[in-house]
Amino acid sequence: MRQRSLVILTSVLTTGALTLTACGSRDSGSKSDSGSTTLTIGVDAPLSGENSTTGLGIQYGVQIAVDDANKNNWVPGVKFKVKALDDKAQPATGQSNATAFTGDSSVVGAVGPLNSGVALSMQKVFASANMVEISPSNTDPSLTQGKNWATTKTRPYKTYFRTATTDALQGGFAADYAFNGLKKKKAYVVDDKQTYGAGLAGIFNSGFKKLGGTIAGTDHVNTGDTDFSSLVTKIKNSGADLVYYGGQYDESEKITKQLKAAGVKIPLFGGDGMYATTYIQTAGKAAEGDLATSVGVPVDTLPAAKAFVSTYKAKGYKGDYGAYGGYSYDAASAIIKAVKAVKDANDGKLPDSNDLRSKVVDAVQKSDFEGITGKVTFDQYGDTGNKQLTVYQVTNGAWKAVKTGTFTG
Amino acid sequence: MNTLPQQLANGLLLGSMYGLIAIGYTMVYGIVQLINFAHGEIFMTGAFGALTVYAYILPDGTSMVVAVPLMLIGGGIVSVLVAVGAERFAYRPLRQAPRLAPLITAIGLSLALQEVVRNFYPGADKDRSFPSLDGSHDIGSVTITDADIFLVVAAIVCMSGLAWFVRKSRTGRAMQATAQDPDTSQLMGIDTNRIIVIAFAIGGFFAAVAAVSYGLKYGNIGYRMGFLMGLKAFTAAVMGGIGNIYGAMLGGVVLGVAETLASAYINHIPGMQQLGGSGWANVWAFCLLILVLLFRPQGLLGERVADRA
Amino acid sequence: MTETTENPQTAATAPAAQRGLIPLPLATARALLLAGGILTTASTFLRWTWTSDFPGDLTVNGYPGGLQVLTLIAGIITALFAVSTYGVRGLGWLLPARNNAPLVLTALSGFAVTWYTVISIAAELGGIVNWEPGTYIAAVASLLPVIGALAFPQDATDSTKEALKAYIAKADHVPAPQATAPWIQRLAITIVAALGLTVFAYGIDAEDELFIGFLIVVVFTAWALQTAGLFDRFSRLTADNRSFALAMGFVAAIGFPFTQTNDHYANLGVNILIFGTVALGLNIVVGLAGLLDLGYVAFLGVGAYTAALVSGSEFSKFSGVQFPFWAAALTGAAASLVFGVLIGAPTLRLRGDYLAIVTLGFGEIFRIAVNNMDGVSGPDITNGPNGIPSIPDLSFFGFDFGQNHDIAGFTIGRFANYYLLMVLISALVVTIYRRASDSRIGRSWIAIREDETAATAMGINGFRVKLIAFALGATLAGLAGTVSAHVTYSVVPNPYQFAGAAPPNSAFLLAAVVLGGMGTVSGPFLGAALLYLLPEKLVALQDKSLLAFGIALILLMRFRPEGIIPNRRRQLEFHETGQLDVPDTTTLTDEPAITKAGA
Repeated sequence: MRQRSLVILTSVLTTGALTLTACGSRDSGSKSDSGSTTLTIGVDAPLSGENSTTGLGIQYGVQIAVDDANKNNWVPGVKFKVKALDDKAQPATGQSNATAFTGDSSVVGAVGPLNSGVALSMQKVFASANMVEISPSNTDPSLTQGKNWATTKTRPYKTYFRTATTDALQGGFAADYAFNGLKKKKAYVVDDKQTYGAGLAGIFNSGFKKLGGTIAGTDHVNTGDTDFSSLVTKIKNSGADLVYYGGQYDESEKITKQLKAAGVKIPLFGGDGMYATTYIQTAGKAAEGDLATSVGVPVDTLPAAKAFVSTYKAKGYKGDYGAYGGYSYDAASAIIKAVKAVKDANDGKLPDSNDLRSKVVDAVQKSDFEGITGKVTFDQYGDTGNKQLTVYQVTNGAWKAVKTGTFTG
Repeated sequence: MNTLPQQLANGLLLGSMYGLIAIGYTMVYGIVQLINFAHGEIFMTGAFGALTVYAYILPDGTSMVVAVPLMLIGGGIVSVLVAVGAERFAYRPLRQAPRLAPLITAIGLSLALQEVVRNFYPGADKDRSFPSLDGSHDIGSVTITDADIFLVVAAIVCMSGLAWFVRKSRTGRAMQATAQDPDTSQLMGIDTNRIIVIAFAIGGFFAAVAAVSYGLKYGNIGYRMGFLMGLKAFTAAVMGGIGNIYGAMLGGVVLGVAETLASAYINHIPGMQQLGGSGWANVWAFCLLILVLLFRPQGLLGERVADRA
Repeated sequence: MTETTENPQTAATAPAAQRGLIPLPLATARALLLAGGILTTASTFLRWTWTSDFPGDLTVNGYPGGLQVLTLIAGIITALFAVSTYGVRGLGWLLPARNNAPLVLTALSGFAVTWYTVISIAAELGGIVNWEPGTYIAAVASLLPVIGALAFPQDATDSTKEALKAYIAKADHVPAPQATAPWIQRLAITIVAALGLTVFAYGIDAEDELFIGFLIVVVFTAWALQTAGLFDRFSRLTADNRSFALAMGFVAAIGFPFTQTNDHYANLGVNILIFGTVALGLNIVVGLAGLLDLGYVAFLGVGAYTAALVSGSEFSKFSGVQFPFWAAALTGAAASLVFGVLIGAPTLRLRGDYLAIVTLGFGEIFRIAVNNMDGVSGPDITNGPNGIPSIPDLSFFGFDFGQNHDIAGFTIGRFANYYLLMVLISALVVTIYRRASDSRIGRSWIAIREDETAATAMGINGFRVKLIAFALGATLAGLAGTVSAHVTYSVVPNPYQFAGAAPPNSAFLLAAVVLGGMGTVSGPFLGAALLYLLPEKLVALQDKSLLAFGIALILLMRFRPEGIIPNRRRQLEFHETGQLDVPDTTTLTDEPAITKAGA
């Protein structure tokens, strides 16, 4: 007797629980109140832990673009919101964030990730879902131009774009400026052995040699290292007149400081990974005379960029907009403007989710507008059409543009 | 130019810092057989304690001669408080628990301390600059800075002070007794809890000394600085023979020198051109550790460990 | 709870006196419990706020949504326990020991989740004006059972603190269950497996507030069931029907992707399974053989890199080579085995913490070496920091893992395909683990772990059995690594570090084993699920999520150092022994585990 009622009760309970969970999934699709639709723009970046300072810069860069779009009604009848997910700089986490975006029907496109290594695991997910992914910071040439990018370029994924420039351009431009502009003949090349830094340093190395310079030595450091005394001694002994560093400011600010403390008064030259005010703040006087390349024309020559910086500061957002905030803003703008283009081409109506996504990919490809980092266009590989590069030098405790141009060679 | 003397000096300096931090690992381990993986973070909080004194308490333009001792005190207070707090609230309740439970606690503590600093210390989400002692001196072909001199002096003073304390003072002898046999020493009237707290406190203070030296030498500190330094210091403690305070210092110096020399010279060895440089330095450091342990399983100065493990 | 402070401290009466913390007659207490449970349930059918801005849309009358569903479930469970106190036939099994703790804890579960909801409505929408009458009813109704439960009589204690402790203590003695027919036992296992799957599927879908509510309900309810002695009963049940329980766990695990419409959750599922399987491999090394390995993730890396190298990816050094998956898996496992032996042979003669630092060093060596072997700063093998991308999807007999498949009306996406493959591999690893731990060698491991000197004296070749444990652990991690390479399309050096913010890394793997419970099969899986999901779901805390996670680790170890699913013998022992300790060979709690972990 007792057992039978036990069974009955348990089954009732189970069925009840199962039914209830089914109830839990009431329609929660994108609601359209007062005729406006809300679309989501995904952001994937490291938002906690090690790289979060830069990652938060990406998140809030996109946030400002979305706020601007909503405030100024860039796409009439469509509101945008941001869904930011933390990839912790881990490929598997980035991939699961990508599936979270593709699985959410309100997401129309995504900005991110910060790290090229994470991008490798995400590209294909977005490609299968036909959703646009624009990275503001990936610089590995093979992401857009395939394995043999140096010889035969082929685009692996047509949904992947970037507003950052590739290492190939930046490294070459830096080598040119170091040799012809600064008249340096002997460079010591160091990198942090990450996709971005190693790529950049490698291209600088070959570019500098091609121009006729000598490479006094090369070395590779680990991210997170803090003592560079051995490296500094090697540089000092090599008689180099310039140090080129491929990597982020986290290490380069320490290297320049230790270099100058050891009495090696030669400039350190780097890429956009160290073009940040943090670099100067942390390295202090040691940073004076150091150089960095960055994409686009100097921000203070464009009014839109100034507005961006003041908004970022006024809102009190965390993180650092310096490195990739502007590119993130432009990446999000590209998606938003693509939505507008798709809507306009479709008699002012938004197509359904899947159709919208694939049309947005095509529209992003055709992007052509003035962003805050310069003109935003994409070439046939999904790389930014903005080939403008600027060399900055630390003068009196601030980055000052010393040369702007395009790299052709 | 012969770089060997300079590279040796670099290694010795780095090693002294490892050694100072390693003291904390080795003392705690010697008494409670606990690997306090959060010790690197205690080192880090000490640096921020010292920075607080300099940046927020002392008036601008205070002479470094006055500031440095005050920073040592400030950093010391913070590190000791964190170390003793960790012992009291995280480790003590687990003293009877299985061996691995405190290890997980330490990992959690390590994460939590890093995140507290990153989230709540002004500007600590990026590296913060720290007043540095830049004045440099050339001794032959070797260049050293004031910060380096401070580090060496501090390490020597701390080590001899500790050696005197452990050997001569009452508390120090009680410490030795507790390390040998906690139960018996408790029966002999030693308050073992107090001894353990003192071990944590000394470790914390030494970490703070290392932290101030670190700041003065490199000119910046960050919430992540404790992780790698802690790992290296732990390696140094093991290499020297964990539980032995002289071993910790020796292990630190050996590790520091090995790392520096590997980074500087390995690629000059024929056939190993590609395996040199700073990137591979940690690999060689760990290889050296494995070699040392293979031939001297108790570490360089370690005592019998058979009944410890 | 504030209401407990009004406890009048009258002089203790006779030692055997029974009284409640809150002085109410027993009948009133019972009535309060039941009425409160029912009222709480009913209140979820009212609207709790006026706007659909609050997640889950709590504005519909007569149709609970979002967090209301959790309140509803907590209310029902409370009511059921209340009914069972009346001695209603058929519900007696809920309270075998007839103790108060389950009542208090289920009441608290409803109270906590309801008040959490109510407070977050006010906090998120800006003020209590957003409350509706239903909200007030729910808040009050959920408080009633707590008062009722705390009024149940118990042995008198000296202080309020002790009285409260007694209210949440596990029953001292749980009477043995009456013999039941085998089919009923099996039915019970089936139902529990189904419930486990449902709970897991619900939890993995829940986001932000809903997930926190879910956690509240699950933690309190599980705690209640544990104090009631139901977990003990269930583990006995599974011990009697081990193969059946294993099979049901397996079925529940397979069933998981069919409950999901979104491939994202299958993606989470496959990552958890990979992480859990590797943790189980580590459990052999740490849990059974007692060897502290701090560089274990390197073996996962060896497997992943090997699989990537022979996958046919154009970025691989051997890009012309494409092994079929079985061959790639075997190669990956074999490569890990070789590394395991290479590392183990010289170092396993070291004891205890020395081994720990050597393995940690090996882990770092692996990561740095892989990062440098790109032909620039090392031999050209692994493509350095760029890793090996574009790893093609697997394909078995024309079944392409990269494509969606329709199975019996369900669409199984790419990650669900891999999830199912991983379930098979996990099942294989679980079998190996169980076989090994029950074998002669498994008993040798435990003997070595308990006392190496004694074990050696009894004729066990300590070095040999430790090496086998080390090599077997490495092999299993390598096997899991081969799948993970295909799932993520790429292998890069960064994830294979000692400690980081996200799994897998050696520290997290170890934490999964210790948190879940060393020496058990289910522990590592449960630990892995928790460690993977917690940081993933705590996005609401944004950049404070790691902080919260660190504190959670400390607290979990503080209050449950033996792990969530403790090994039985270990739980009994751990107050006497201070050493790295562990398993017994046939743990009774193993089976439900697979349900939880796999589901």
